[in-house]
Amino acid sequence: MLPILQSEWFKLRKAKIVSVLFTGPLAGFLLGFTIHGDVPEGVNPWHILLLFMNVIYALLFLPLMTGVLAGLICRYEHQAGGWKQLLTLPVTRGKVFTGKYIILMALVLFIQLLYLGAVYGVGWAKGFTEPFPLEIVWKSIFGGWIASFPLVALQLWMSILFKNFAAPLAVNAVFTLPAILAVQSERFGPYYPWGQPFLMMYIGGGDGVFFVPWEQLLLVVGGSFLVFFLGGYIYFQRKAV
Amino acid sequence: MEFIIETSGLTKKFGKDTAVSGLNMKVPKGEVYGFLGPNGAGKTTTIRMLLGLMKPTSGTIHIFQKDLQKERISILKRVGSLVEQPSYYPHLTGYENLEAIRKILGVPEKRIAAVLELVGLSDAAHKKVKGYSLGMKQRLGIAASLLHDPELLILDEPTNGLDPSGMKEVRNLLKRLAEEEGKTIVISSHLLSEIDQVATTVGVLLKGKLIFQDSIAAMRKQAQQKIKLRVSDGEEAWRTLLSRGMKVDFKEGAVFLENASDEKAAEAVAVLVENGFAVYRVEEQKSSLEEIFLQMTKGERDK
Repeated sequence: MLPILQSEWFKLRKAKIVSVLFTGPLAGFLLGFTIHGDVPEGVNPWHILLLFMNVIYALLFLPLMTGVLAGLICRYEHQAGGWKQLLTLPVTRGKVFTGKYIILMALVLFIQLLYLGAVYGVGWAKGFTEPFPLEIVWKSIFGGWIASFPLVALQLWMSILFKNFAAPLAVNAVFTLPAILAVQSERFGPYYPWGQPFLMMYIGGGDGVFFVPWEQLLLVVGGSFLVFFLGGYIYFQRKAV
Repeated sequence: MEFIIETSGLTKKFGKDTAVSGLNMKVPKGEVYGFLGPNGAGKTTTIRMLLGLMKPTSGTIHIFQKDLQKERISILKRVGSLVEQPSYYPHLTGYENLEAIRKILGVPEKRIAAVLELVGLSDAAHKKVKGYSLGMKQRLGIAASLLHDPELLILDEPTNGLDPSGMKEVRNLLKRLAEEEGKTIVISSHLLSEIDQVATTVGVLLKGKLIFQDSIAAMRKQAQQKIKLRVSDGEEAWRTLLSRGMKVDFKEGAVFLENASDEKAAEAVAVLVENGFAVYRVEEQKSSLEEIFLQMTKGERDK
């Protein structure tokens, strides 16, 4: 498995991914920096900041950028017979699929950490004096990462399926945009996979290990992860190359 | 004889269409196997199945006496391949393309420079492959197939897109690999002329069926050779030969001797000289692959 990961990372890091990694955190930073809300007495300004930044970052940029990354990690395989060459090497398709998925999840975690940096950066630039609510922020950062597991799996599947770079992105947008409405609904929000990054990063949520109840995490995030990951995995096994 | 590749009843159907039908392919160890057939005959489909890119509808494939279905990984570690049109990563340089593959194969880094040298790409090693000519991409593909020094090379139309001198280089390279390093090589082509100087064994595929499989010498024998005779009085000469019971034709002022062995040719010339004809030219008319195909398929239909 390790050689596959090394080879995959080697190919991907030469594919101009830096700007993609920074887009989401940068958008969050700019929004956080420009917005000026009144902070009510007794409320930690870090909380308000995080609430604002999450709206644009967790609801839009995080899900959309995972789609772009998944598209990039498959693009060079589609362009000029890459799949063919890769799969005639002594590798199994299962390992290739899992390898690409692991690389993507590692990058999403990296984006989340950049976002953490962006949040801290805004507060620092604005001169917040209150202590940084480390525990809450970590919960939000890791929650968002875990919520993106199924989304990345689906995007990887779609990116392998479509030779065209834009098609999987369109699929992603079609599911991501309604999340803006879905998360406002108490009935549908908890069940909508594309709304989960926002809900799991939303610091106003419950106070368990994450901001959403375990049932929701296992059922919605875990369930959709299984469906999307296995769907993509099985599709790739059978794909004619 | 030890067979490196042995398929049995290999068949691939796409819906109702049968692309490959009941193939019993046998590639002997150390040979250069020319896999011939017109475009669309099923060569690439067969090669894809040999490499496990595609599953056969029925039939089995054994490579190195191992079942491909069960031991694909251990087989592929010993196989280098190039499938249809060059495959490459356009955003990487030639060197980086090989590096991405090398990481998976786990061979020493110095192999990259060695194979680039072998195919004559050392100077272009650090240029992006999207700027390569088709011939350079093809050579990069051959370099990639040689990275792990495989025992078996499966090359699908490797001289596609190469200029005549590039073709000759590739042919010489393959010849050297087979003769000096004892590699077994399968090389597909739709042109006999591209492989008849390197191939030692030939398999001819037509409409998904292997209609011929033997040494290249046997194939040449099968291809009916004609001798073209230009003589002083063509028509009269033709009649004379005909009256001696010889299979001859008269076309465009020349006499054509069919199925001509050395003895037959000598006899015909002797008869002509004895009868006072002046013999200007005696030429062998080589059948092109297309003609051989036609002959072979004709034979197939007549049976």
